[in-house]
Amino acid sequence: MKFNKLLTLSAVVAALGAGPAHAEVMAEKGKKANLVLVPKFIGILVFDQAHDGAREAHEELGNPGTLEFIGPTPENSVAGQIEIVTTATTQGQDGVMLSNNSGDQIVPAAKAAREKGLTLVTWDSQIPSAEGEQVFVAQVDFDQTGVVMADMALSILGEEGGDFAILSATPDAANQNSWNAAMQNALQEEKYAGLNLVDIVYGDDQSEKSYNQALALIDKYPNMKLIMAPTTVGIVSASKALQDEDLCDQIKVSGLGLPAEMVSYTLNGCAPEFALWSFVDLGYLTYYVTYLIATGQIEGVEGETFNAGRMGTYTIHKDPTRENGLRVLMGPFSVYNKDNVEADAS
Amino acid sequence: MNARMDERGSRSPNPPDPMESSRAGPAPAAARLAAALGARVRSWEGFLAVLLLCIIAMNALTSPSFLTAENQVNLFALSIEKVIVALIMTFVILNAEIDLSVASMMGLSACALGWLVQQGVPMPVAILACLFIGMLGGAFNGFWITVVGLPSLVVTLAMLIGFRGLARVLVEDRSIKEFPAWFEALGQQPLVGPFPLSLIIFFALLVLAVVVLRYSGFGRQVYVIGINLEVARYSGINVARVKMLLFTTSGFLSALAGILFAARLGTVRGDMGLGFELDIITIVLLGGVSIFGGAGSVYGVILSILIVLYLRNGMSLSNITGHLQTGVIGVLLILSAMIPNVRSFLAHVVRPGRLR
Repeated sequence: MKFNKLLTLSAVVAALGAGPAHAEVMAEKGKKANLVLVPKFIGILVFDQAHDGAREAHEELGNPGTLEFIGPTPENSVAGQIEIVTTATTQGQDGVMLSNNSGDQIVPAAKAAREKGLTLVTWDSQIPSAEGEQVFVAQVDFDQTGVVMADMALSILGEEGGDFAILSATPDAANQNSWNAAMQNALQEEKYAGLNLVDIVYGDDQSEKSYNQALALIDKYPNMKLIMAPTTVGIVSASKALQDEDLCDQIKVSGLGLPAEMVSYTLNGCAPEFALWSFVDLGYLTYYVTYLIATGQIEGVEGETFNAGRMGTYTIHKDPTRENGLRVLMGPFSVYNKDNVEADAS
Repeated sequence: MNARMDERGSRSPNPPDPMESSRAGPAPAAARLAAALGARVRSWEGFLAVLLLCIIAMNALTSPSFLTAENQVNLFALSIEKVIVALIMTFVILNAEIDLSVASMMGLSACALGWLVQQGVPMPVAILACLFIGMLGGAFNGFWITVVGLPSLVVTLAMLIGFRGLARVLVEDRSIKEFPAWFEALGQQPLVGPFPLSLIIFFALLVLAVVVLRYSGFGRQVYVIGINLEVARYSGINVARVKMLLFTTSGFLSALAGILFAARLGTVRGDMGLGFELDIITIVLLGGVSIFGGAGSVYGVILSILIVLYLRNGMSLSNITGHLQTGVIGVLLILSAMIPNVRSFLAHVVRPGRLR
């Protein structure tokens, strides 16, 4: 309790330092807002986990409105997301929570939604220009992601380093691009001098394509020692490709992965180390932010501080990774290896 | 096959006119009207019209926002690029050809537009250049098909890959988002009343398509070539000219659709319109246009456009998206491919006397 108070106090102090003073807003329960949670596409475990978290918050807040979980198919992600946001506007929903996979192509639809009074919060993946978006709920600090990726690469390859490649999701996934850029930025530092990034390829978050891209990397770069896949789909596909080719002792995999999907590859040494955050928490926090804005309890402006149930206190800050745009930073990372992966896999 | 082409071909250019019956006396007029309506319902277009009415009724009942002007405009705007290209695809398929390269041309035109603007080319010049690229690409298809005599399936399949490759070379794995504000406004804001430019262009092209196909000599030539190429040649129709014109127009309209797509999204990237050719061909076939050419009408395609758009919109408004939506439209296509064939098969078995 005391610790909580201390946290709150420090958050308030931080808010005071950052901008105009705002008292911490405690969510008033039972207000009505019809909200739509939009993943990049359906059929991916982490997005279902985010849905679980949003549902938890939905019930906890006693929102008499609806919570819909609507996503496009992987082949139709961009057009599908645009259609879903447009339809939500037509339906007169109160808010959309979007894991954006459409780059800035979503901007016209997002702006139209905002003009009709919808709350538009992004989570997991932001709108690059921030146009049409009120707040981005960031899972972790995106610059920090780059450092974590670089650190894992260093710890796997050691001081002498070596060649490695990045296996990303889609070329227009804003989060992926930010992380890859942040990692390249981090690599400038002296201690990563041995790490040599040879290529960035895209598996579009589809298992088969990611698998084939990993095989192509193996053929193309005989000296490659590591595949860094900052996507839960890509990291599994790359690990499987290496295991199938029996190359796990020569080439390693790392990146962002789910313990449940990665446990066997971590134990057999294909992917000795990877990281992730909780998508359940991300969905939960995103729901809180969206509910508070949609019901008028906060405005979604810089410096506002609010209480997000079991997760504690958060503040809306300027997003340092984009020119315009606000973010709520969740954090932190969990780094998994053979010692702790089994505990979180169940 | 012959029976089917005959049956559908003769129906489509000159469908029975129900208005005629009203000129007769009151009692027989009602009977004749009923008979005419019956014949209409039994035709493919009639079936589509009934299906469309059912979908509209269902949508209106399940979703209060379905009938709002805003939603009606939006549901067209969301797929406008596809339906524009579906119009010219109708001509191409009627002519017993296919153009698989349309979606890739859309992507190429959009990416070329972005690339040119990035190089500092003024917007109007860039737009004209992209339309020219479309005509050039279409004429290139036409050259291999008419002059060299290759099947359009092969030529346009190659160009599906070729145009897409060029688009990806131009913008690589980036997005280009540097269009002037007026261009984006043109794609996203209403121009006349509630209608954005793209819808106005579509309606204009729709009228043009109906007039050309039903009332012009060129339209007749398109049908004749589709029904029987040799007959068309011996009747003195310049087959190469007609096909060349169709493919060039197809390239041109695909490029136009690509530009409208770029304006609507305000951003271009290499995979724009990926796979759209299948949706476009689906619409045309569902409209009752025979994949073997020569049979079908623009009216069927209009109905089919409305069915696909309304079905998608209705399902979206009821929060049905993703695989289920794709599945329902897939089932529709299977039906559209099967029902006419089953009918001609039955006609063949039950009433062989009708065959000539």
